[in-house]
Amino acid sequence: MSSAIDQQVATFQEQFKRVKDEVSKVIVGYSEIIDGVIMSLLASGHVLLEGVPGLGKTKLVSTLSDVMHLKFSRIQFTPDLMPADITGTNVVQEDALGEKFLEFQPGPIFSNIVLADEVNRATPKTQSALLEAMEERSVTVGKTSHKLDSPFFVLATQNPLEMEGTYPLPEAQLDRFFMKLKVDYPTVGDLHTILNRTTKAKEPQVDRVLGQGEVLAMRKTVRAVPIARPVQDYAIRATLATHPKPPHAHALTMKYVRYGSSPRGSQALVIGGKIRALLNNRLHVSCEDIRAVAYGALRHRVLLNFEGEAERIDTDTIIKEILENTPESN
Amino acid sequence: MVGVPDLNVRKEKEPVPSMSDKQIIIASLRRVERRIRADRLLTELTLGATFFLAIPLLLKLWDLVEPLRGVTIGIIGGIWVLLFGAFAVWRIAQKGTLEEAAASADTRANLSDELKTAFWFIHNPRRSEWVDAQIRRAAGNARNLNLESLYPRQIPRTFYIAAGMIVLFVSLNFVPLPWNHNWLTLQAAPAFALTDKEEAILKQTEELLRKAEKLKKSELAAQVEDIVEQLKEGKIDAQQAAQMLDQLQSQLEEGNLDTASINEGLEEMAKDLQQSDQLEPTANAMEGKQLNLAADELRKLAEKLGLNKPEASKEMQKSLQQAAENSRPGLEELAKLLKEAAENLKNEQQQLAQESLDGAAQELENIQQRLDNQQLKNMASQQIQNLKDSLQQRQQAGQKGAKGQQQASGKGQNAQGQKPEAGQPPDGESQSAESGTDGEPTDQAGQQGQPGAMMPGGSEGTGLMPGGKGGSDAPREGAPTSLQVQLQQEKVQGMQDGGEKPENLEESSKQERSRLDYRNVKSDLSPAQKDLLNQDRIPWEYRPLIKDYFQAIRPTPQKQDKQ
Repeated sequence: MSSAIDQQVATFQEQFKRVKDEVSKVIVGYSEIIDGVIMSLLASGHVLLEGVPGLGKTKLVSTLSDVMHLKFSRIQFTPDLMPADITGTNVVQEDALGEKFLEFQPGPIFSNIVLADEVNRATPKTQSALLEAMEERSVTVGKTSHKLDSPFFVLATQNPLEMEGTYPLPEAQLDRFFMKLKVDYPTVGDLHTILNRTTKAKEPQVDRVLGQGEVLAMRKTVRAVPIARPVQDYAIRATLATHPKPPHAHALTMKYVRYGSSPRGSQALVIGGKIRALLNNRLHVSCEDIRAVAYGALRHRVLLNFEGEAERIDTDTIIKEILENTPESN
Repeated sequence: MVGVPDLNVRKEKEPVPSMSDKQIIIASLRRVERRIRADRLLTELTLGATFFLAIPLLLKLWDLVEPLRGVTIGIIGGIWVLLFGAFAVWRIAQKGTLEEAAASADTRANLSDELKTAFWFIHNPRRSEWVDAQIRRAAGNARNLNLESLYPRQIPRTFYIAAGMIVLFVSLNFVPLPWNHNWLTLQAAPAFALTDKEEAILKQTEELLRKAEKLKKSELAAQVEDIVEQLKEGKIDAQQAAQMLDQLQSQLEEGNLDTASINEGLEEMAKDLQQSDQLEPTANAMEGKQLNLAADELRKLAEKLGLNKPEASKEMQKSLQQAAENSRPGLEELAKLLKEAAENLKNEQQQLAQESLDGAAQELENIQQRLDNQQLKNMASQQIQNLKDSLQQRQQAGQKGAKGQQQASGKGQNAQGQKPEAGQPPDGESQSAESGTDGEPTDQAGQQGQPGAMMPGGSEGTGLMPGGKGGSDAPREGAPTSLQVQLQQEKVQGMQDGGEKPENLEESSKQERSRLDYRNVKSDLSPAQKDLLNQDRIPWEYRPLIKDYFQAIRPTPQKQDKQ
């Protein structure tokens, strides 16, 4: 029995590694970003990628879709984008007898991997259509609900600059993202590698290494990993510490945070911890796993107050203080 | 921190292959918990000992500056032992949990909460293959835990600090200083510490009192000793001790002989006896206060009584008769025997005369013995007085003020290599008293007929007494007078500080009064010389004139022959 589980874990690690290796053929650096994206996929969550233009966010998503036998679609969010442009709409059709009828034409959201590029440029109405689909995993058009395929994975990107004319995602919608990953500027070495790869006649090609069934199996494996109550308690205390109320709040939280993480934050910590445990060949989640995924899982769930915004406090700073001051044992 | 090999590894508690995975984990965690507890106890107890040892160490240092009493040390020591014991019991009673042991082992062995998770699942079983697999993996790692490498035996630095403090504490107890008390041998400062001078006085007093056994006053030595013991133990203060010594002194002085009268009577008898050639040696000895010698001479004379010529017997009978007429208190028996001898000689009853003379010789010896005893009593009384003076002065000076006064006078005991103790008198009198001990405080002084040896600062003393310098003829730079002390003591009522009580005034005057009969003070000076010395001041320019005058009137040998 033990060997079966060990085999399961080994397969998980091997498949994860294959996907990462394929993506890394195109995407230079960003190891943690790639890990976060794959982890979000395996955690049945969605990812919000934040970074300035030109850092390869869209390339990362498109490459990920290329290495998987999954249906991919891309939606470029603009202010005039309508919800129906995402979800699809009923179109009047005419059959062979000349009878007219309404037929649902699915929108780009009916894919396994959806790239919502520059999601903050669309109007809230349109954003809501996407975010509802992200949560419900179904789309209702007219009186008919249309189930989305599984896996359904949304990768949204947004540009932290050029905020003029944008519609920042509301807190409730941000909470629906499993992780928010910050894409930083690549290092000099990474830039050399990028130039070497992209300025030649032949660009690197990736292979499809993962299918739909394999992804779903990996998701099942993740959910099976046990977590002990003390570790889960640590994840909960870390989540509660993001709230500016005693007894778990820390100094920075009380000063700069308006509202802390929802229970989805704890879920993200635990599931992310499970994936990390598997990747580290462990059958249990440790507090270290919780800490490792805490930044991605909590940074978009910590809402700063006016003082925090005015002083441009980074939520990562607050999370860092929380992790440093939250004891592993209660 | 220094690692030391563990020689007490309990092999029997280590997990064995026959155990189940859960048992292996539990057994391993128990081993870890024991090791953690042992290390924690070593650290905490040595740290606690370091803090606790600081207390007796500081006390000991304080004791070197200001000696502490045994009661104080006992109370503080008792509280210290109780507190440290309570601390040790408290720490020993605290045991860690296996969950904490699991967390610690996970951290040390980089197991990423594996044991903690497994231990939780052991106590909270769940039907899951993954949980079973996790416990199995954890058991494998728990079995391979090497406690020696994970928790190496280490002696904390506090252990060395505590050991160093113990060594320092023990060393301080053995510091060879006169005022240091070894607490390890249950020594501590007495409630009232006698100075070396006072101890010497006390010793001499006791010796003198013991020598006075014939006066049945030997219990006074024990009483003096008892008073001093009570003083040292703090049962009485210096003032009470002084009062008790005063009472003792009064007891000692009960039934004192009028030695002056006896000596005067003996001199008169000697002059009468000198008229007889046969009795002249006896008379000379009597005149020289050598009564034992006089007794021997008298016995010799008695033996040869039958050989005397009638004229000589008559002359002797006449001298004895005249001598017998000089009866005085204390000499009645001698006078009676001399009278009997004279009458027997007159009646030519030689045998009876011989017996009377023998009896007179015996009485002379008795008188000599009584005089000696009286001298011993006087000396003891004077020593008690000195001790009492010293105690009273220390009481008045106060413990704090004494140091300052001593420094101001520059005559403290520091000059003698001794540490001044609290309450030590800064007076110069006690110093002179101490120098008086250079002489022999024995019967010798009395045998030499020099009662002046008893006087404080006496010019003719031969030891024992303050100011005595072993019989040296050199003019003495006497110790400072106690005039200043006397002035302090004789404050009158109504002064700003309230003054002394009337009875204290009397006590102070007593302190300055000699216990020795002034007539016992022998002087070779002529009355004129005495008068001269008694003058307050002789102007410098007149001194040669006075000297010439005395030289001019000094009797020449021719004049002496004529006389």
